[in-house]
Amino acid sequence: SSMNEEFLKKWQMGLQIFSPSIDNTSVSERKRAIKLSADVAMASLRKGTTCWSRALIQKTATEDNFLVRQMLSGIKEEPLINKKLPKVMCHRKIVRRSKKILMRRKSRSAMEEVAAKKLVKKKTQGLRNVVPGGEFMSSNVLLIQETLDYIISLQTQVNVMKSIVDAAEAGIER
Amino acid sequence: MSSRRSRQSGISDDQIANLVTKLQHLIPELRRRRSGKVSASTVLQETCNYIRNLHREVDDLSDRLSELLASTDDNSAEAAIIRSLLN
Repeated sequence: SSMNEEFLKKWQMGLQIFSPSIDNTSVSERKRAIKLSADVAMASLRKGTTCWSRALIQKTATEDNFLVRQMLSGIKEEPLINKKLPKVMCHRKIVRRSKKILMRRKSRSAMEEVAAKKLVKKKTQGLRNVVPGGEFMSSNVLLIQETLDYIISLQTQVNVMKSIVDAAEAGIER
Repeated sequence: MSSRRSRQSGISDDQIANLVTKLQHLIPELRRRRSGKVSASTVLQETCNYIRNLHREVDDLSDRLSELLASTDDNSAEAAIIRSLLN
């Protein structure tokens, strides 16, 4: 698929740019460079249109500002380094207080509904912890939209990396 | 005022239900469970698990690749294979 191809191209470029961190370095340094370049490649596919991809670029830039900038310039995506993240909107205290007032007069089935909603809330919080930039996604609708896109991107990353690694390992065994 | 609020939350409840269904189709573990309805909280939990699994896979693949690249410092046939795959 074209997404796989685009990811592979960008990742290859990234690995070449990261080669000082790959050639003749420790295994952990190498692994770090491989992961970093794979994440930048994956995030850049979205060209800054999603929150998770902007957050991921910011995160990789914190880990190695110089190399990430070099890679973005190599794959012609320099503007991505400057993409901002949305401000956190925090109405939690107000929402909690008004919910308490409402809860006092509810029937049993309504209480169950509230409990179910609480569970969903707990699970969406779990999602926020695993999706880059999740802490900035106050709306559940946005969170799930971003999650859908993030999963597709992760699947691309895994599929391409897996084919490369499988092929290389098979080549060596021969 | 209260009717406006419930109308707004009504719209996003539908939206969320729709999005949760999309998640259900995307996650292998849930695609297999064709039988009946799956609760939203289950879908969200499985989504979390799935994302964590994908992260682990990337981590594992990065490990393996860095091991492979380690064996290419000496310009062997293996080196040629890997370099060609990555170029």
